[in-house]
Amino acid sequence: MELKGYLNGFFKFDDFRPGQQETIESVLTESHTIAMLPTGTGKSLCYQLPGYLLDGAILVVSPLLSLMQDQVEQMMAMGEKRVIALNSFLTPQQKAKALTELERYKFIFISPEMLGMDFVLASLRKLKISLFVVDEAHCISQWGYDFRPDYLRLGELRQQIGQPLTLALTATAAREVRADIAEKLCLDQWKEVVYSVDRPTISMVIEHADTFQEKLERTVELVKFLQGPGIVYFSSKKIAEQAAAYMRENGVRKVMAYHGGLDSESRILIQQQFINGQLDVVCATSAFGMGINKENVRFVIHFHMPLQIESYLQEIGRAARDGKDSTAILIYSPGDEQLAFQLAEGELPDRYQIERLFAYLKDHKLGYKELAQYTEDLIRICGFTEIQWRIVEEYLSSLSHTDLDLDSHSLIQMIERRLAVKNGKVRKMIEYVHAQECKRSVILKAFNEKPEKRPEYCCSICGVDMDHYKKMEPGDNEMLIKLDWKQDLASILLLSERIK
Amino acid sequence: MGVTYLESVVLYLLKTIKGERTIYSLYHLFQGKRSSQTIQDAHLYQITPYFQVFPSVTRESLERMVKSLRDRNLVKEAAESKVIVTEYGMETLERSLKEKPLPVFMNGWKYHQTTEPFWERLTLLVQVCSNLVHHESSYIPVRNKKDTLFWVKQYISKQGINRYILAERLYMELASALDHENTRPELVVLRLTGYKKIGLTITQAAEMAGLEPSHYHFEFLNTLHAMLDTVLEKASDYPLLSGLVSQGEREVPLTLSTDKTYGLIQKGYSLEEIAAARNLKQSTIEDHVVEIVLSIKGFNIDAYVSPEKQKKILQAARDNSARKLKQIKERVSDATYFEIRLVMAKYGEEQWN
Repeated sequence: MELKGYLNGFFKFDDFRPGQQETIESVLTESHTIAMLPTGTGKSLCYQLPGYLLDGAILVVSPLLSLMQDQVEQMMAMGEKRVIALNSFLTPQQKAKALTELERYKFIFISPEMLGMDFVLASLRKLKISLFVVDEAHCISQWGYDFRPDYLRLGELRQQIGQPLTLALTATAAREVRADIAEKLCLDQWKEVVYSVDRPTISMVIEHADTFQEKLERTVELVKFLQGPGIVYFSSKKIAEQAAAYMRENGVRKVMAYHGGLDSESRILIQQQFINGQLDVVCATSAFGMGINKENVRFVIHFHMPLQIESYLQEIGRAARDGKDSTAILIYSPGDEQLAFQLAEGELPDRYQIERLFAYLKDHKLGYKELAQYTEDLIRICGFTEIQWRIVEEYLSSLSHTDLDLDSHSLIQMIERRLAVKNGKVRKMIEYVHAQECKRSVILKAFNEKPEKRPEYCCSICGVDMDHYKKMEPGDNEMLIKLDWKQDLASILLLSERIK
Repeated sequence: MGVTYLESVVLYLLKTIKGERTIYSLYHLFQGKRSSQTIQDAHLYQITPYFQVFPSVTRESLERMVKSLRDRNLVKEAAESKVIVTEYGMETLERSLKEKPLPVFMNGWKYHQTTEPFWERLTLLVQVCSNLVHHESSYIPVRNKKDTLFWVKQYISKQGINRYILAERLYMELASALDHENTRPELVVLRLTGYKKIGLTITQAAEMAGLEPSHYHFEFLNTLHAMLDTVLEKASDYPLLSGLVSQGEREVPLTLSTDKTYGLIQKGYSLEEIAAARNLKQSTIEDHVVEIVLSIKGFNIDAYVSPEKQKKILQAARDNSARKLKQIKERVSDATYFEIRLVMAKYGEEQWN
């Protein structure tokens, strides 16, 4: 049977999205593969389909717990029961149970730190692993915008489980990053499936606002004018909340804020309301959108610019998944640069925090293996944020032996290098915002691509008629407040013909 | 000037504790701190319904609120961290309660262990049933705890009835159990998720109902607890709903450590022996006994306080409305503090006030 037949049989899709078929074919001919596919093209299908055709388990390394959780839930929702996530969400008992019955699972998602544990490796070695998948593979490269020290060991770990056939997936990786991925994963030979980062159906617009207030007002104006649904991205939870409240006060009814500070029930509900069409707009931080499959997002507005073009592409890429014209608008106001630099710097620990940490380790004669036990103390004493601590912990736990003075020095150096990379990324983002040439070509150049055909609705430099994105149906069908709760209850639980 | 709903609740509680306890005792009460002090005070002042009903409260937010009440002359400082309600505060409270009364069915002490798991299971059960009758098998569950998912799955298969009957029965039970005077079932129904209809978050439901979030929260608990009363009273009429409350959660359990002490008491050990065996202070064991008396009705304290002395202590307590152990002790000089606390714990609610 042809691949398409399987696609239809297993997933009920008629056609592959760009790059999927090439990637799957490459994997099925047993070539190590690095696939760079734009966001919204369904990267997970590239290992799910081979999973059904290959004999043995698919091991997927994924850096983000939330992403992993989303993927597992979606696969379960599709009816796949042989799927498990091995990560720190599991209790020790659940972990032990899962490890003894690993052969029951077809798809095993795992965090890099779990993969590094000896007893986990031992269990994995007993399995037949038909495909080793590294998701968000750009995290392995120091040139990537989201470098994760614990990804550095993946090459070594891959050797320990018998060098299985490998698929590295990423949405955004320039040429040097792809070469770095292959090297770090110890691949001698590999195929690359590289698709353009360009999304011709999304127009790229930059607007200017002089003040915060003006920006807020313009955002509301846009949200009211544009055909929804849409996402507005913020780099602060608080401002996301404020903006959502401001929109509600100003006549945008179906809008909610979404960020990591909400409780889990609210997060699930808001996400599902948006997918189900009960919300038109979500005011979100970057926590929103990962793993969300919503086809008809029509606009993405950036209230704050992301810290790198890669994130920008990922976020605007949540629009237009159904292939229909959509728009991405970034509103810039003076001072946004400083905020971006501050945020980039704040993600990394500083020299003083590191020195304090090592002084503490010395005084208390602690080894890196014991870090986890002291997490709370160390975070408090050194004033780490969660992200800063993650970086420190990942780095130290990836070291095989301990030499406090040397390691302190090398960690500080690593951080300085990271900061230089990050600042460079922010500068590129700022250049993009201010560029006076076609925005699309600026982005393509950043990924060593040549612009091909310019779409009709290209960017604010080439000129975009915003009426193209105007709201079609004006009066939105407002959710009616039914006064009769029993009727509401009946409509949830009874089929309509049974409601009298 | 008016007060918010939450302020009226806090004012009411401050009025009840009469400046005899610090404002932080309310924090512990809202948080549901399982310490003998908090549990005992909750019984003593008859504010057990408020036990653990507002776990999201922080020390700072409570401090801020009390400060604001003080700035508005609704309360005044009585001692360090202790306030009493002013006359103006009393009037304001009365006016506010006339318009927005306190939740009468809410019972934090009785249901603090039950509420959360019950609500988690209920929301998931409703969602699953709704999708079952619509033959939809692909949807994201509103709960992501593995335990809850597994529990509900088992529960449904244990019923052994077809999907239509199951959903209809759930509807009948809910429609009847929620139908309770002086509660607001719509506040609960708004939150439920079903087939192609995602429930509202707390914030959205409050806004939809036109209530401030804390008012919504208390009304919601009030309705839920009234429903639990109905369901557990006539469990045979509500087999599906009562089954969502696990057996172990129906009674107020003891804290783990107290439970151990209780086991040893039942085996006949004296408090000294228990303290020695468990390597704990005698005073800790005494705290445990007070907690046992509060939690287990009918626990006999005669072995620790002679019936004669119990009478004396009760008499002193009745004459003395301040409820300070010290004042009782002054009147019954041969009684220890432990003995007084035991008697107060046992008879506090009915006879004392």
